[in-house]
Amino acid sequence: MREPIRPTEPMQADSKAASLPILSVGDLTALVKNTLRLSPRLREVWVEGEVGQVSISAAGHCYFTLKDERAQLKCVIFRDDRLVMPFEARTGLRLIAQGSIDVFDAQGVYQLYVRTLQPSGFGDLALQFEALKAKLAAEGLFDQSRKRPLPSMPQNIGVVTSLSGAVLHDIRRVLARRWPMARVVVSACQVQGQGAGGTIVAALRRIARWTDEETGRATDVVILARGGGSLEDLWPFNDESVVRAVAAHPCPIVVGVGHETDVTLAEFAADVRAPTPSVAAELVVPARVDELARVNQLGARLNGALNQTLVRLRQQLATETRALEAHHPQAQITADRERIGVLLDRAARLVARRLEIERTALSRASDDLPALAAGAIAIARGEVSRESAALNALSPYATLERGYSIVRGPDGTVLTDARDAKQGEAISVRLQRGEIGARVETVRDSTT
Amino acid sequence: MSDTAANDAEQQRIAALPFDKALAEFKSVVEKLEAGNLPLEDSIALFEQGVLLQRRCEKMLSEAELRFQRLVEQAGGKVRALDLSLGEAEEPG
Repeated sequence: MREPIRPTEPMQADSKAASLPILSVGDLTALVKNTLRLSPRLREVWVEGEVGQVSISAAGHCYFTLKDERAQLKCVIFRDDRLVMPFEARTGLRLIAQGSIDVFDAQGVYQLYVRTLQPSGFGDLALQFEALKAKLAAEGLFDQSRKRPLPSMPQNIGVVTSLSGAVLHDIRRVLARRWPMARVVVSACQVQGQGAGGTIVAALRRIARWTDEETGRATDVVILARGGGSLEDLWPFNDESVVRAVAAHPCPIVVGVGHETDVTLAEFAADVRAPTPSVAAELVVPARVDELARVNQLGARLNGALNQTLVRLRQQLATETRALEAHHPQAQITADRERIGVLLDRAARLVARRLEIERTALSRASDDLPALAAGAIAIARGEVSRESAALNALSPYATLERGYSIVRGPDGTVLTDARDAKQGEAISVRLQRGEIGARVETVRDSTT
Repeated sequence: MSDTAANDAEQQRIAALPFDKALAEFKSVVEKLEAGNLPLEDSIALFEQGVLLQRRCEKMLSEAELRFQRLVEQAGGKVRALDLSLGEAEEPG
């Protein structure tokens, strides 16, 4: 269909040139542009070819060439169109592009302004995808009611992905940072190419058959992940057997395949869909800093609760002591006091030991999470020293240590009012160590 | 003496608790103590237990290292986990 090459006719051309207007470059370009625009055949075209060089401008527009054995075609996808496209042009892919031909005046080139892009043969895949989606949806595989909640603190985490590639590294990094208490077991599979679907199903089954040899516990949650790729690369995740294996897995499963915009049927069947593999890892575990804050908060409450208990018991003790002193023989009072003293001593030692523990915890935690732990420990330490002081003040013996003494009348009752003593009467004075026998010389009522 | 033995057993039990269990127990101990109305001896015992549980939780949060393993199928179909090292992220042991 090529035009035969005609011999040029310079004489004729010269004479013709004299009668034609001289155009500016802009005018000529406008003429070409209008001619192209007026051609209904070029207003909407579908063209198939292989993608050559691809570049994305700072503004986000994508420029690439489509080529075959004979020719090349410059193509443009504007940013807004590009962002909603299900996939991107990549060098070496065979694509079908749809759009219109126009001239870019500033560079004097004609280009295809692409509106939609699909891989060659996509028509078949898209049909398969929709048909399978409808069938599995009708079976209820994607129902919200089937979705299981993820465990809040998983001990054993299964990961199904390829051993090569960045995905496994990313998942490991996230889990090690957020939740290093976990045990991770990786069940390797192929994530693209012929037969990949079968290896994914086998890897999921392998995980389902594993239990922790120490605890007998299976995995609490599973991550199925793959990095970004072309539609064909991600296709195993639309494989019917894979989708069914995901839906039937015995523990909750999070699927993170490709980038945010990639959607596969395995994700529909998952309990939770993650936009990327790293996000999948974040979703399955809590953050340890949050948990550490929670533990510290509980620690402060523990101290506070003991403090409350001590305050309450101290009030009780005061009440009971008064009752005892009024009604019980001296021996009983002493025995009770001793019993209470021993308990309070034990509490005081505990609080002191607690202080030591907090100190050790502080030095240990300061390597890792200094600000958080140090704050909580400083608070706890303040409480502990206040508690120790309160406890010491409580002990009846401590009262004697401070220089007070207990004075008893001749019948052994404790004297609390000078008016109960009579001049010349024998009294005894109990000190911290020992007792003094004494005689009342004068009695002065404090109210006079 | 038997008191000390019981204490040791309790310490060992707590030192082996997984994090979620330790945290749940810690929380229930704090709540029991907060509810009050316990004799001093019981309060002290609870407090001691709470301290151990808190230590266990903190220790795990600050010292735990992720175990990262690969599942392999052995003859007879048994699945075992073997340590997996990933290039530069390789750990000793």
